[in-house]
Amino acid sequence: MISTLQLSDLVLNALETSDTSEQNALTQLTSGRRVNSDSDDPAAAAQEVNISSQMNDCDQYLRSITSLTSELQTADSSLNSVVTALQQAISLGTEGANGTLSQQNCTTIAQQIKGIAQQVFSVANLSYNGTYVFGGTETTKPPYVLDNSVAGGVSYQGNDDVNSVEVAQGESVAVNQPGSQLFSSPAANVFVALDNLTTALESNSSTDDIGDAVTQLRSAYDQLTSARTFYGSTVDQIVGTQVFLDSESLQLASQQNSTVGIDMDVAVTDLTNAEESRAATVQAASSLNGTSLMDYLANMER
Amino acid sequence: MGGLTGSMWIALNALQAQQVGMETSANNVANLNTPGYSREVPVLQEADPFVQGNLVVGGGVEVEGIQSLRDSLLDLQISEETQQQGNSQAFVNAMNQVQTLFPDDTTGIGQQISAFFQSLNSLSTDPSDTTLRQGVLTAAQNMATAFNDTAGQLTDIRQQLDSQVQQQVQQVNQITQQIAGINAQLTNVGSSTQEYGAFLDQRSALIQQLSGLIDVSQLSDGPSLTLTTKQGTALVVGGQSYALSTALGTDGVQHIYSSQDQDITGEISGGQLGGTLAARDQTIPSLQTQLDSLAGGMVTALNYAQSQGTDMYGNSGKDLSNLFEPITGTGAAADMALAISDPNLIAASSDVDPSQGSNGNLANFSAVANADVSNGMTPSGAYGNLVFQVGTAVSNQSSELGASNAMLTQLTQQQSSVSGVSLDQEASSLLLYQQAYQASAQVITTINQMLETVLNMGAGS
Repeated sequence: MISTLQLSDLVLNALETSDTSEQNALTQLTSGRRVNSDSDDPAAAAQEVNISSQMNDCDQYLRSITSLTSELQTADSSLNSVVTALQQAISLGTEGANGTLSQQNCTTIAQQIKGIAQQVFSVANLSYNGTYVFGGTETTKPPYVLDNSVAGGVSYQGNDDVNSVEVAQGESVAVNQPGSQLFSSPAANVFVALDNLTTALESNSSTDDIGDAVTQLRSAYDQLTSARTFYGSTVDQIVGTQVFLDSESLQLASQQNSTVGIDMDVAVTDLTNAEESRAATVQAASSLNGTSLMDYLANMER
Repeated sequence: MGGLTGSMWIALNALQAQQVGMETSANNVANLNTPGYSREVPVLQEADPFVQGNLVVGGGVEVEGIQSLRDSLLDLQISEETQQQGNSQAFVNAMNQVQTLFPDDTTGIGQQISAFFQSLNSLSTDPSDTTLRQGVLTAAQNMATAFNDTAGQLTDIRQQLDSQVQQQVQQVNQITQQIAGINAQLTNVGSSTQEYGAFLDQRSALIQQLSGLIDVSQLSDGPSLTLTTKQGTALVVGGQSYALSTALGTDGVQHIYSSQDQDITGEISGGQLGGTLAARDQTIPSLQTQLDSLAGGMVTALNYAQSQGTDMYGNSGKDLSNLFEPITGTGAAADMALAISDPNLIAASSDVDPSQGSNGNLANFSAVANADVSNGMTPSGAYGNLVFQVGTAVSNQSSELGASNAMLTQLTQQQSSVSGVSLDQEASSLLLYQQAYQASAQVITTINQMLETVLNMGAGS
């Protein structure tokens, strides 16, 4: 025999069940996530910790790359201006060495080369965001200072060290070239070469001496241009890494979506089902009322 | 006895019997919505026949008693399942709070660990920049705060559970006392009375409540009912109840003692008390230990990384400050704190000569992200593992809870079909009793007329 309470319990239970599924579906739809607490899918939640940490890492790498790229490009274009200036110095020196110029003209050329030396000196002390770019890892003081006690009149107070920055998981790149590689390598010092050329031109030396000074400058120029390629190739490398990270980010986002994201079709179907089942239960419950034999008894007595 | 007066007697008894039937039906209808009420039926039987000369004549009907319809096996099953349900429910309630402390995405410890390592990467692009250095300290502070908060809230939740244990023990004692009281009453009333059934109904409802609180074993029935925990600690023996007590243990939480002062904390496995104790004494302490191990492991590894470098002032080796206050073991997560507030004290440089722009040592810091810091796991791996454990604990018990709920619904339906009141049934019973009553009354009227006839026999002459 089915008791009267049993029927109302059945209705209540059915309503509760459909309410719970409706609530679940709604939570999923509003949050856009299938996993709204760890217990919804513990394995997916743990995976999500990992994925979201990797996504954050990717974003950080991309930010670092943006800031590095701009620093490296600034260094590269500044060095480009030095290259141009040195080319000009070499052609001026070559002119001085062919012996056809008057002393007056030689002195003028020497003045021009001094100007170039000043330009190189200022680029060698380039600072970016308050840190000196060409001092190795000694970035808080100017790498080059005027110093008449040394050859060339300029001494290097930076170091030979290189910083590396991680730009992707397991991928580090060197981010600076010390001035001792670019401007003041012992074998090919730009400042010494420029100073020697100036002296040779000013002191009315033989064309051979001027020629030697030009040769010296040319080798310093070669050293600079070869060391400078570091900047271009590093920029190329990290731009490549950037492209990789962009696609990695997309990949991770899609992985995240498939791990904890909502399956729209399923959630909408769940919601519709829950709503329909609720409506059906209410319908059935309303038709339950007034059907007991007691009502018949009451009617009979009238 | 015989003759007309005998028949009159039979009819009167019949009237009474039908009246009792009407009364039980009325009582059933009245208790339609009473929780724990079992449907009652009058137990009618033939009265002893009487002998009239050579004849044996039926003695009519008599009411032997009123019986409550219940299935004690179902009651037992419901009690068992209620223990399981109470256990799961209490555990899930407790761990649902814990679960919010271990989010898997944009907040919490995992996020702060990740942000800390990102701040190090930022610093590596410009290691002498004060803003970036300050960024590392801020991120480190946020990470420490996240550990502090989570550890603090775990402790809070554990304390809440501790006071719940006390309340639940009090409830258990109240209920066992009531059950013992009912047992005593049952001894005083006869087993065939309506009161007896009513007391059984009350007791059965109380046993169900008790099962929701603690694991219960039920021995014998009737007035001598004995209730113990699953491990045999007496709760009720007949009319006597045995109260449990609580007292603060050396481990800082309430322990539960039997009436014989035995510590039974570890024995309780069912009901809300079982679930609360499981969360308080097993799951949460295990999470605390792992959280401490993660915090201690990170502090040790990061301090070691710090010790390998040179700070902005040129300090290296033993002249360096720790990054975090050195802590390990119990309480590490709660006590995690920065040891420095000057960003220049971060030993980012790997150059021994005090060059301030080197980032060589930051790689040692960053390497901690991929190092074994806690039980063979990386920081993010260890946190992920915590998320997994909390999630699994809640999810397993939620499934158990779902199963228990379904089972209980099923059992309650079954019980309801045995003991529940059906208005249809009562209506038809009422009709039957009514008709039998009317018929008996008619018999009395007829006998009355016959008696008058007999009395008037002499008067007419």
